[in-house]
Amino acid sequence: MRLRAETRREGVLLLLIVLVLFGFSLVIENYLGARLFNRVSASVAILAILAIGQTLVVLTRNIDLSVGSIVGFTAYFVGQQLSLDNDIHPLVAVLMAVGLGAALGACNGVLVAWCRVPAIIVTLGTLALYRTILVEYSDAQTILTVNLPQWLIDLPRLNVVSYERLHLRAVVAVMLAVAVLFQLLLRYSSFGRRLYAIGSSPEAAHSAGFPTRRLVFAAFVLCGALAGLTGFLFLARFGNITVVAGLGLELKSVAAVVVGGINIFGGSGSVLGAVLGASLIDLLENSLIRSLQVSEFLRDALLGILILAAVAIDSVFMKRRRDP
Amino acid sequence: MSSPSADPPPGAGAAPGAAPARAAPVLEVTGVSKRFDMTQALDDVSLSLHAGEVHALVGENGAGKSTLIKILTGVEQSDEGEVRVEGRTVHLANAQEAQACGVAAIYQEPLVFPDLDVAENIFITHRDQALLVNWPRMYAKAEDLLASLGVRLDVRAPARGLTLASQQAVEIAKAISLEVKVLIMDEPTASLSDHEVRQLFRVARQLRDRGVAVLFITHRLEEVFEIADRITVLRDGEHISTRPAGEVTRDLLIRDMVGREVDQFYGIGGDWRSRTIGRQVCRVRGLGREGVFSGIDFDLHEGEVLGFAGLVGSRRTDVALALFGIQPADRGTVEIDGRTVRITSPRAAQQLGVAYMTEDRRKLGLAMPLSIAANVTLPVLRRYLSRLGLVQRSREEAAAEGFRERLRIKAPSALHVVGKLSGGNQQKVMFGKWLNTRPRIFLLDEPTRGIDVGAKAEVHAMVRELAEEGMAILCISSDLPEVLAMSDRILVMREGRQMGILGGSEATQEAVMSLATGEAGEEDPDAGAGRAAS
Repeated sequence: MRLRAETRREGVLLLLIVLVLFGFSLVIENYLGARLFNRVSASVAILAILAIGQTLVVLTRNIDLSVGSIVGFTAYFVGQQLSLDNDIHPLVAVLMAVGLGAALGACNGVLVAWCRVPAIIVTLGTLALYRTILVEYSDAQTILTVNLPQWLIDLPRLNVVSYERLHLRAVVAVMLAVAVLFQLLLRYSSFGRRLYAIGSSPEAAHSAGFPTRRLVFAAFVLCGALAGLTGFLFLARFGNITVVAGLGLELKSVAAVVVGGINIFGGSGSVLGAVLGASLIDLLENSLIRSLQVSEFLRDALLGILILAAVAIDSVFMKRRRDP
Repeated sequence: MSSPSADPPPGAGAAPGAAPARAAPVLEVTGVSKRFDMTQALDDVSLSLHAGEVHALVGENGAGKSTLIKILTGVEQSDEGEVRVEGRTVHLANAQEAQACGVAAIYQEPLVFPDLDVAENIFITHRDQALLVNWPRMYAKAEDLLASLGVRLDVRAPARGLTLASQQAVEIAKAISLEVKVLIMDEPTASLSDHEVRQLFRVARQLRDRGVAVLFITHRLEEVFEIADRITVLRDGEHISTRPAGEVTRDLLIRDMVGREVDQFYGIGGDWRSRTIGRQVCRVRGLGREGVFSGIDFDLHEGEVLGFAGLVGSRRTDVALALFGIQPADRGTVEIDGRTVRITSPRAAQQLGVAYMTEDRRKLGLAMPLSIAANVTLPVLRRYLSRLGLVQRSREEAAAEGFRERLRIKAPSALHVVGKLSGGNQQKVMFGKWLNTRPRIFLLDEPTRGIDVGAKAEVHAMVRELAEEGMAILCISSDLPEVLAMSDRILVMREGRQMGILGGSEATQEAVMSLATGEAGEEDPDAGAGRAAS
């Protein structure tokens, strides 16, 4: 049976992850183990949720470079509210983060869909804008873990299921739920299929009479909402939030999406691919730090290389470009 | 998901060609007019389509066929007149509303979603009802639909790799699933191989037998006689005739399509034709480009105007692009001044004294935001450089000023921005730009497209002047009377092949049309080869 291109890509990614695990297990003692899984899976979860949002936007032949700033903004804002009032209900806090993210995403969406500004320009602008607003708003103050409610501080170590020393963190469970939800949405809902259609051929989508503007807008809103959720988890994970929180996450999310096989020119890719892409990137980064004490700058270089390699491999070997 | 059905819609079963005139028409167009700036694209056109007929729409380039289709599919709106579907007056404000009325169109190059698979391409437009996609059911239905058309396609394969013919089949299947009443096929055969054309005709007949009204637009007259029950001719935006196919002869059809007297429009004196033509400048033999055109043979002399006639898709522009090195030829020879040359780039062509004036001013011709001076000196900027390698504005301006006066470009100065000029004046700037390269062979591609009558006359005068000065001119034009009036000889092309060269008294509108539509001319054994590879 002929495999879908997406399925093949996912297989290759899984294989690569296994190879990376095997490679590092030769270099680092006691590398493979419950500790690695517990730590990396929690770290992957945050990036994966962001990458799923990015996927929705990239599928429509757009891009959202402002997600890092949205994460920082929501993390700071929600952290501040929780510091001021420790009694805010957890659910309210989550909704606050998701809602704020969605609102910031909606700004991007309006500018892209109705003002006809290219997404790369819009989100490059809001990347800087949202961050600057955060700096002004926060007055360069820092959210401190000590002021946060206990349930939030405990959240990263909250387990849903445990097997001996292997833990499935709540954060990871949330990520898996989001992934399943959006995989189903993209595969089976007419909304999801139309996102693919728009990215595949905007002209054909327009002449088929799809409400392309509303669909693109919705993609940006959902991407913002997921970035907001990421911001909440970011706050829970790190506790101390400064104005530079989430800086550089846009690059990581784009890298995860591209490595995960979502066509940067829209129209193809899957949520599973994005999750695997995020896993590969985070695993590599984590392991490199442990084995070589690689500096932060080199980690950025690694991301750059991964993005370039993924896109180059796509266009050279898979002949996948904007034009068929 | 809505229920796509392969069952024939109500009203099906009308015998093919059986006097449809008695039944009420499915689609009726009355008194439709449409104007674009200078041109009256449609003038009081009426047309009716009946269930179960294949209705052919023919006409020269610019006869108004495309405009009529755009109005019927809601892409353009008419200025006057009305469209009725099943007796109901409809206002087709966009493609969506046309589709809702049961009018769909397939084009020479279908608009598919390349990343989506075949089945999804068929059904994605009507998913409004259901929330979720039932993939197995969709695949099964797509398979049924395609099978009912006699088409074998993998419904799970992405549309990206499909041939044009298969993409058209997908579009037709989509139209059937939407239960269209009227299917417009706009030159669907232009890029198909003979075998694919057969298959398309079979499908078209099948649709007719199911009670669909098929409006079939084509440039190939033999296809018209093969498929059509009735034939409507448009000319210059007017409705000329509608007749049952059985009552029409080829000659009658061509006369309806052509209809005009040449010299009414182009009062060109006989003395210009009597001038002497100089020695041979260019000799072309067997020129071709894989899958595009082949077998082009002609000689070009000093002071001669060689016209290139043919219908849309006859690949005339491709020959010019090859001679100018933009898309170099891959077979045949070109001799200039008796020396065999290889023209592999526009730069090489210019060095050989060849200039090409494009039909697409906006995209390939002029830098619209720049001044006349900057445009005119662009191909030969080296001549205007100072010793430091910087452009000398004063010399540039002086040269452009010269062209402005000589070509009578209506602009306050040579520093005026080109984008703000009228079409006719832009055309003159383009002339100036290429004359500035001092060409000996000038390839003109639709030199009068989109400009008004006065500017046309000036362009004609300019071409004559250049020929009298001894320039060798190759002129592509879709305006048949214009080609006839301007050219010493006319090379007629059809689907990438040379159908013949007409000179002197042989060159009549009827003769040119007859070659261009493939009604005359030698039959070549590899006739299909040129268009099989699209």
